[in-house]
Formats: sequence, C-alpha cells, structure tokens
Amino acid sequence: MLANEVLVIDGLVVQFGGLRAIDDFSLSLTEGELLGLIGPNGSGKTTLFNATTGVVPAAAGSIRFKDTELIGLPSNKIATLGISRTFQNIRIFPRMTVLQNVALAIHRIPLYSVWEAFLRTKKVVEADRKVEAEAYEFLEALGLQDYAKREAGTLPYGLQRKVEIARALATRPSLLLLDEPAAGMNDQECVQLQELIQEIHDKYKLSTILIEHHMTVVAAVCKRVVVLNLGKMLAQGSVRDVQSDPRVIQAYLGERRSRYA
Amino acid sequence: MRYLLGVASVAGISMLATMGMVILTGYTGLFSVGHAGFMAIGAYTSAILVMRFNVPFLLALVAGGLLATLCSLLIGHTSLRGRMRGDYFAIAMLGFGESIRLILANTKPVIGGAMGLPGIPQKTTFWHVLVIDIIALILVRNYVKSQWGRNSIAVREQEVAAMMMGVDVAKVKIWALAISAFFVGCSGGLWAFFMTYLQPAQFSQTRSSDLLASVVFGGMNSITGPAIASFFLAFVPELLREVAKWRLVAYGAVFVIIMIVRPQGLFGYKDIGFEHINKILGKLGLKRRRYADVSQ
Repeated sequence: MLANEVLVIDGLVVQFGGLRAIDDFSLSLTEGELLGLIGPNGSGKTTLFNATTGVVPAAAGSIRFKDTELIGLPSNKIATLGISRTFQNIRIFPRMTVLQNVALAIHRIPLYSVWEAFLRTKKVVEADRKVEAEAYEFLEALGLQDYAKREAGTLPYGLQRKVEIARALATRPSLLLLDEPAAGMNDQECVQLQELIQEIHDKYKLSTILIEHHMTVVAAVCKRVVVLNLGKMLAQGSVRDVQSDPRVIQAYLGERRSRYA
Repeated sequence: MRYLLGVASVAGISMLATMGMVILTGYTGLFSVGHAGFMAIGAYTSAILVMRFNVPFLLALVAGGLLATLCSLLIGHTSLRGRMRGDYFAIAMLGFGESIRLILANTKPVIGGAMGLPGIPQKTTFWHVLVIDIIALILVRNYVKSQWGRNSIAVREQEVAAMMMGVDVAKVKIWALAISAFFVGCSGGLWAFFMTYLQPAQFSQTRSSDLLASVVFGGMNSITGPAIASFFLAFVPELLREVAKWRLVAYGAVFVIIMIVRPQGLFGYKDIGFEHINKILGKLGLKRRRYADVSQ
C-alpha cells in the first residue's frame, strides 16, 4: 500500500445468492481525493458502500482502510476508525431534534458510565453541554442552526439530506461516503450542494467518494470518476473521458443495433 | 383507606416494573413478553434471603434485582449479541419467562414448587413503594436524557444508521435489558413482601403482557405516560371487581380502542414536565405568565 492511499479495495466480491453484485472489483483512493462513482441502476454502487461499512459481508477480496482490514469488522468498529456515510434513502433519526441527531454522532460512545448517567453527576451535565456546543458548530457549518430544535423528521427533504451530512461529519471521519446526496434536488439546490460538498471536503480534510446520478454535480467536484457496471469497473478517468467512452454510453443506453439485422 | 393504600401499593409496584419497561421498550424499542420471569427471580430471591438468611429487607430487594440483572445478561448475551431481530427477541423472552415459571413450579425444596412459598413477612408499605418509585422515576429520567439514553433512542429510530454512526447497538440493547431486569426484579421483591406469599402462577405470561401493555398504552418515548398507564391498569381491575366476569373483556376493549384512536399511546413521544404544569397553570390564570424562556 502506498503511503498516501486511504482506501484500497482489492478483488472484492459480494454475492447475494447467485447474483454477483460486486464482481472482482479493485479501487484505490488517495488521501484528499474526491472520487465520483457512477453507473446505471443496480450496478453495485451502494453495495460497494455497504461492503465498506460492514453492512453486507464480502465473499472474497479485501478492503483496507489505512492499515486496517475492514472485512469482518462490525459496522460500529468501522465507523470508529473514521469512515462515515450518508444513505440513498434518508436515514436520519426522525423523532429526534436536528441538534440531537448531530449530538448523537459526536458522543456515540458515551463519555461517561451508565452509573453516572443514572445519577446525572456534574461530569454528565458538563459533558452533555460540551457535546451540544460542538453539535451546534456542525449545524452552523451547514447552515442548519435555525432548525436546531426542530424534529428532524418534520424538515423538508433537502434539509434532511443536510442533517444527514452534518451527522456524518460529526463523527469526525477521514473518509466520507456520500450516497446520492443530490437525489430529488432541483438545479439550484444541486449547485448549492456541490459547493457544500467541495467546502466540507476541504474544510475537514476528507477523502470522499461520491455516488451521484447528476453529472453536473459530479463534473463540478470530481477530478476522477469510476464507472461501475454489473459489479465491475467499466471505465475510469476524467468526467469528459468517461462520458465519451462508448462502453459507458452502451451501459447506460444499451447497444446501437440495426433494426433489420 | 387501608384498602385504598393497598391498591395504591400494588399500582406503585407495577409502576416500578414499568419504569424498567420504559427503558427497554419505550426508548430502546425492544419488545419482551417474558419480563414476569425477572419479577419472579427478584421476588423469590429477596423472600428467601429475608426468610432464611435474615438479610435486611431493602438489601434483599436490591439483591433480588441484581440476580434478575445477572440472568438478563445471560439471555441478553446469547440473544442480542447475535443480532437477534426484534420479534425473535420477544419470542426468546417469552420462552425465558415461561421456563423460569416452570423451573419454580417444579422446585419443591426451599420454595415449595407449585404450592408456593407462604409465610413471607409483610414488610412492604405504601411509603416504601412511594419513595422507591420516586427514586426510580428520577433515575430513569436521568438515563434517558443522557448520552446512553440518546443512543437507545437512536437504536429504536434507525438501527442501521445508529450502527453506521458507531453506536455499539448490541451493547446499548444489553444495557437496556439489564436495567429493565433490575427494576422489574426489585418490583418483584416489593411484591413478595406485600403479598406475603408467592406462587409461580403469579408470574404467568399475563403479567408480562401487562407490563408491556403499560408502555404501549402509555406511549413510546415517554416516562410519565407509562407511569400513569401502569397506575390506571392497576386500578381499573379493582374498580371493575364487581363485574369480575367482564374485567378482561373491558380491558381488551380499552386496548382495541387505544390502538385505533391513539396508536402512539396516550402520551406517545410526549412527557409531562414542570414546564407543562407551569403552562397549564398559566393558562388557567393561576400563575404569573413566564413565556420568556420559550425556546422556539
């Protein structure tokens, strides 16, 4: 592994019954890179995230994060190593306030024991206050401070996505996996989102993998793009190269065939 | 008056158990239909400690609670570490509760098997129950407000996301189970010294469902709701004693109505705190208005 490689995936296979969702896939991500991951529906993009975060088991291959092998580790351990993600279908904690959503990510491993929690000692009060102040900083960074006390589930869709990003950042990751953050957003919101992605990527010194269908967003923030099809890497390179690659066009649009062949 | 205090004690005892269920079901989202087993363990343990070994009453209560907790850790490790899903966990607990009852019913020496254990000294008074309930209320409120409590809520709301954020889901669940077992075990001890006799049949599955019902009835994510519900559920059968035959029917009807009208429970996702009491008093014009601290 080279010194500046953060994530190295090697020969990964993920199988659901007879279906190979990820088929001998390899990828390496250098530190500070913002990589785009695209591909038609069902090509295995989210499965790749799921395998990386320990949601689905891998049948073969390896995923190394810095110097740690991730395959076989439970999801919460992987998260503590510094990998955080958002979800394609939003998974915030709907009944908690926005502030609590973020606060939870900060203190996911409680700073005090159960006994202290029961007695609500001075340490508990102080720790809670500190965490709340930190959570507020993350909200401010994403412009969510006005919604701090709102129940997260009652917010409009776009803001819920932001809450999810704030929550992912609050775990202080070094690798951020964004799963279609622009889904359901209009053009103007997409522009704001791409600025936000760039901003947090630089500000928190992250390595980021972005799954996205909106090519304008991908083109704006990603230097390198990987195209996934049927669980295999189909192409990689700059957005321009990839977009003009006939194999990619074929994967998205199907084969050009003569009607009377 | 004595009768009323007696009923209030029974209600208070079931409220203590409900406090345990609040953390397990109301906040962590795990359903159990076997917690009568923990109540039985607490009841028999504390009764025997007092009768055979002259252990002081309050110490025996705590010991009963601790043994229930120990048992909960055994079943918690086997069921929850292995990522057992919610409904399977409920079934596992059903099996646990029933096996405890059957073990007790078939153990003749010391605890008297199915005949039961008579002659337990009457030690539980209404005041014991009241003080212990207040302490329990405060402890539970502190817990759910803490980072541990919030982890519990996160597991209930969105288990996968909680895991992805780094929450140790199994640990949170096992703690919730252990805490609930302690509260339920202690309430079993109070019950033993209130009833003065114990019988395995007292800890049937009906009792487990009653405990769960208080939380479902009172509302998820609420402490005061289930607390009030447990009182209500203890009083109603007494009020309906005259028409004993119809007791269970009325009980069932109330549940069906609740499920239809307020599926989130009476106080679902709401809690009554001092702020609310102030607000109500303010609305009634009984108190100086103080809206300066309204946060929204």
